[in-house]
Amino acid sequence: MVIENSLPILLSRLDFAWITSMHILWTPMTIGMSWLLFIMEVAWLRTGDERWYKINRFVEKIFIINFGAGVATGVTMEMAFGILYGPFSQAVGPFFGNILGFETITAFMYEAGFIGLMVFGWGKISKGMHLFATFNVGLSSSLSAMWILVANSWMQTPDGIFLKNGLFQVKNWWQAIFNDNFQWGFPHMWVACVELALFALVGLSGFFILKNRNADLFTKLLKPTLLALIIVTPVQIFIGDSIGRVVAQTQPTSLAAMEGHYHTYLPDGKVNTGWHLIAIPNAKNDGNVFAITIPHVLSLLETHTLNGKVTGMDSFPAKDRPDVWVPFYSFRVMVAIGFFLFFIAIWGNWLRLRGKLNATELRKRPWFLRALVFSAFLPYLAIWCGWWTREIGRQPWVVNGLMRTYQGASHMPVAMEIIWFVGYIIFELAVWSGSWYFFTRVIKKGVDDIPDSSTLFDHDHADDADVKAGGGHVTPTFASKPMLRSDR
Amino acid sequence: MDILSIGRIAGTLSTWWWLLLSLAFFLYIATDGTDLGAGIFALFSKDEEERGAIMASMAGMWDGNESWLVVAGGVLFGAFPLVYGSAFNYLMIPLMFALWGIIARAVAFEFHIHAKKSKRFWGWAFAVGSLFPTFFAGVALGATLQGFPMKSGLAMQSALAAHGVNVHDYMTPVMHFSGGILDFLTPFSIWTGVGAVIAASLAGGLYLCARFIPGDPIHERARSWTNVVSLLALAAIVITLIWSYAIFPWASAKWTGSDWWVWLIWFVIVLIFAFKSSTNHSARRDFSAMMWGIGVVALLWAAMWATIFPYVVPNTWTIVQAANPADSIAVFTLFMTGFFPIMIMYNWYQIWVFRGRFSKKMAYGAH
Repeated sequence: MVIENSLPILLSRLDFAWITSMHILWTPMTIGMSWLLFIMEVAWLRTGDERWYKINRFVEKIFIINFGAGVATGVTMEMAFGILYGPFSQAVGPFFGNILGFETITAFMYEAGFIGLMVFGWGKISKGMHLFATFNVGLSSSLSAMWILVANSWMQTPDGIFLKNGLFQVKNWWQAIFNDNFQWGFPHMWVACVELALFALVGLSGFFILKNRNADLFTKLLKPTLLALIIVTPVQIFIGDSIGRVVAQTQPTSLAAMEGHYHTYLPDGKVNTGWHLIAIPNAKNDGNVFAITIPHVLSLLETHTLNGKVTGMDSFPAKDRPDVWVPFYSFRVMVAIGFFLFFIAIWGNWLRLRGKLNATELRKRPWFLRALVFSAFLPYLAIWCGWWTREIGRQPWVVNGLMRTYQGASHMPVAMEIIWFVGYIIFELAVWSGSWYFFTRVIKKGVDDIPDSSTLFDHDHADDADVKAGGGHVTPTFASKPMLRSDR
Repeated sequence: MDILSIGRIAGTLSTWWWLLLSLAFFLYIATDGTDLGAGIFALFSKDEEERGAIMASMAGMWDGNESWLVVAGGVLFGAFPLVYGSAFNYLMIPLMFALWGIIARAVAFEFHIHAKKSKRFWGWAFAVGSLFPTFFAGVALGATLQGFPMKSGLAMQSALAAHGVNVHDYMTPVMHFSGGILDFLTPFSIWTGVGAVIAASLAGGLYLCARFIPGDPIHERARSWTNVVSLLALAAIVITLIWSYAIFPWASAKWTGSDWWVWLIWFVIVLIFAFKSSTNHSARRDFSAMMWGIGVVALLWAAMWATIFPYVVPNTWTIVQAANPADSIAVFTLFMTGFFPIMIMYNWYQIWVFRGRFSKKMAYGAH
């Protein structure tokens, strides 16, 4: 057994995995949806079509609940590196710490500032200024995602550094930031965020058309969203394949775990080219108990040749091998979801080509609409699976090839690790269930009670609208005015 | 000595970041301290309407204020990762409770508005979620002043050995926290926790006086609350100073050294500020009273950091030992310093926008 799977280290990994897994539920929506809000706002301003405005304000309510949950779970994230992985934080401080510092200072300052303007600024600042605020929310959240991916990708391919006095010091900032894994890792995550946000819109549309509420409005939304998805979903599959090959070159153990690929050569001395559809790894982690195997496919995938050599787990000592179960299956689930979402995009656009993309025709196809609602949840699962593949595939290293996970874990007894885990199960689930409860409330309310944009600069009505926009917060006032009025 | 030597520049930059770290923590204490204190005040509210009104009074800015804590964390990780990785390990339990409080409080803000049957529960989550971070941040501060034991090698050695795994292959000169998880818990750190609650209660009282219209029930209750707590706060300052003098040689040596008169003058200025706060409070100039009160915090905070110098964590990490290598600190300085004035302007603007007094009814109605 590798040390990483002994109880103290396993619990330490689980503690961190839990809080990261619960945090990644919120951020992709913020990153992806902010750009879609921007596009919808542009569409409203250019065409003057009131429907874009209504959808924007409706989605914004969901966006802001989601943002709050992201902040609540994110504060813990920031502290958790030092709490749970103190020696790791110290050793990687010169690069990783700097990058995380960049992320907190730029993202919090930048994003928090413009989100306030975006949510509370309707009718208070000019339309152009508001559009600028929305644009900056998109830009800042994507920047934040970029820094986080720089940091994490560097853990996969630690380029541009040298080890001195126990610290990973920077030799070349450019190489360290634009490390091998980052070049495809960041696009993969960023496109995943956009895909998630698009499917959230698609799912909402499916739901409302299915319930026959504002069906025309949501059909209007469905058309461009599906069109975007016919581009985004295959692009994501292509990027996924590209990062797969980077992993094959830079992290052969991770790739071998993802594919359950134990033997570089078959017993008869030929190159093992078989790809497993399903596999059950054995307890010793040196072979499969059972597998359904298709020859040549693995070589085709990783080397794009029929008989190319793919390094298997047996090329590495047992103490350097990651566990196979999680990377193998979570990778397959992620890929399956990627293709399923591509299929949904094709289905939708095929209906469009046949002229069926209108409320009456769609309502004759409830299964299509149900599939859309179902698809809104899948990107969350795919993102989870992708991160589990990435993080567990990198084991037993915390910094690939340079620092083992057990060397980076903080000094703490097992009892404390359990207390942390149980406590965060309670608190993170409270955040999660609460947010979902409010999502359903917002969706139940729908778009009908959102006042027209013509009321925006008519302050008697604008005040009511803004109370709702903040999730019901007090009108943030540029604020003396409404208060003074009640004073009189 | 060569004024342009790398070591000298790195030392200067590290000290600069030590000052910015102090600033970020101060801004957090000054801004979120009032919010947390108002939350502690809400522990004693008799009805949900009052708790709701208090929450509404800070709805527009509490998250902006709280983000200073995140900035302080980011500065610590970016400029002093050796402290970040060891001190947070040492402070695991107080930080954990503080974070749970912060999460409960953040969620309560959203849920209290929409809740119908569970309003009471979320009101309490807000109040207790204000008490916890205050108390445990105070405990963490006191514990940090005491310093903590460190060693190099494998951090998890003992926990692994307890589970039958023996590892001796890991060598590193980096010093990490090596004490027990309850090391933070001493009479002094519990006292600083209590002291933090008292200080925040005073700040919260002053804030509520400034936020609510004179004559409003909340305003009146906050007035008498402030009168009582201000006496407690004065006593707490004196007790903390004497206690620190008794147990911290690095503090007593500095305070009674050749520059003793500077500290004395400083203390007199603190008393003047406290007196001004008190007279303004009596004269019902509530905003001025709050600002003088924050001035007291600023003066004491600055004195504390001056006493700590040249340490980041007394007797544990000096600025030079804890700082990042020269090129990392240079890169951090180059890209991050400029954000500080922008962040301060933004936070100020946010507070400015949400100024103006409330009444209980009005706030609750808008809530």
